Amino acid sequence: MNELASLNIEGPVATVTINRPEQRNAMSIEMLEGLHACIDRLEEEPGVVVTVITGAGRAFCAGMDLKQVIIDEGSGGSGEPMLPKRLLASLARLTVKIRCLSSVVVAKVNGAAIGGGCGLACVCDLVVTHADAKLGFPEVDLGLCPAVVAPWLVRKIGGGPARAVLLQGGVMSGTRAHEIGIADVVSPTRDDLDAATDEVVHRYTEAGPEALAATKSLLNDLDRSRDLDLVLRGAELSAAVLATEAAQANLIARLK
Amino acid sequence: MIRIETDGGVRAIVLDRPDKRNALTPEMLSDLTDAVRTVTAAKGDDAAVRAVLLRGEGKCFCAGFDLDLCRDDGPEQAVMKSFLSGLSAAIEAMRACPRPVVLAAHGAAVAGGCALLGGADIVVAERDAKLGYPVVRLGISPAISAPFLMDGAGAGGARRRLLDPALFDGAEGARLGLVHELVETRDGVTDRAHEIARSLAGKSVHGIKATKAWAMESAGEKTMPGRAARALDASLSLVTGDEAIERLASVWKK
Repeated sequence: MNELASLNIEGPVATVTINRPEQRNAMSIEMLEGLHACIDRLEEEPGVVVTVITGAGRAFCAGMDLKQVIIDEGSGGSGEPMLPKRLLASLARLTVKIRCLSSVVVAKVNGAAIGGGCGLACVCDLVVTHADAKLGFPEVDLGLCPAVVAPWLVRKIGGGPARAVLLQGGVMSGTRAHEIGIADVVSPTRDDLDAATDEVVHRYTEAGPEALAATKSLLNDLDRSRDLDLVLRGAELSAAVLATEAAQANLIARLK
Repeated sequence: MIRIETDGGVRAIVLDRPDKRNALTPEMLSDLTDAVRTVTAAKGDDAAVRAVLLRGEGKCFCAGFDLDLCRDDGPEQAVMKSFLSGLSAAIEAMRACPRPVVLAAHGAAVAGGCALLGGADIVVAERDAKLGYPVVRLGISPAISAPFLMDGAGAGGARRRLLDPALFDGAEGARLGLVHELVETRDGVTDRAHEIARSLAGKSVHGIKATKAWAMESAGEKTMPGRAARALDASLSLVTGDEAIERLASVWKK
């Protein structure tokens, strides 16, 4: 919880809002720290049955903050060679932490969910979006490797489809994301997203909280969601690819 | 309430309690398990059974557990526990059967009825069939279905459907991979399932047996030993809790 990620609890429903709209909610180290704090706090809130994660403004989360993954200060980067690695490791830890919440977690994908942002959605138990939202993993288009989010996409849609999505890069519409299983619920327009989300959130609140938590815990065991080491290794790999000259050049070109 | 019909190489196991929408009793589950195990154990003449068809009599396949039987369950929830253990055993028996199991899901296959789909190799469903796992509303976990749904529909599909109590239709079941063939009409479901079972019964027993076992092993059946037992434990451990007892009691008050 900080100015970049806020938590609001109303009865059994918690809402975590990524609050960096002027940067399309891009992930900076400070924003991830805010999200960590929200999730840490939620672990102490046993009365919460459903947690909704959403973005302020037009985007859900546009992925990594370019200025923090570009290393060369003269090119607009941070000047801190270790920062991308810290950022990716923080994201990796956050994904497992979110997955292990006892409440059912819903990603309310209000707009662009790109790269790590789309991965963040895939970690959630349910993804709700609208037909025109843009989702996807364009990492390979920039010479990057989406290694932290890959395990979550595999768990979400299966190994074969995940490979096809990650290797092709690019972004897709909410409608297409629903077809391939990245989104579970898709509303026809952005205006219907609130109603579509409220409907499913309401169903979860009607269920027995203990039954939900026990079922979720079993699912986490069976699909090895608690494997922190796997995503931390993903963070190492992703950081190594990101540090290459070619990737850095692509990121700098993108920033301009 | 379980009827057995043998026709050529096809052994049909029929849930035969149409006035109760084939709602399951612990006895029906144990009879179902026995009927499948008889096929598995058969030597000699009985080995003539080369495919199994599981279907329901009347308007739907199966409405789940007959909760009326839990009405006088004590704090130990003995009847509910026997339901859950019986369901897990029935699904396991279907999966362990060396003969292919075809299931006809017409009308509705809900809660425990939907869980039975996890035991079948080929599920034929009506496009508009009502499917789903609404039991979390009663404070009961559909955990028993988790390993089988993860094999069939993938981990994401299992997470989607086991946490959300909403029912879904046959077409969504097919999208998930839980249903393998859709039929437009209610009456057509059993006919088509029977046709598939007859066709399977005409194939080489050894080829089918080896392929079924290997397909399950390839899908991860053996990679996490005791998955089914663990899932059953997750369900059993909840039913004596306050949440399940209070929510089940509210069913009778309605």
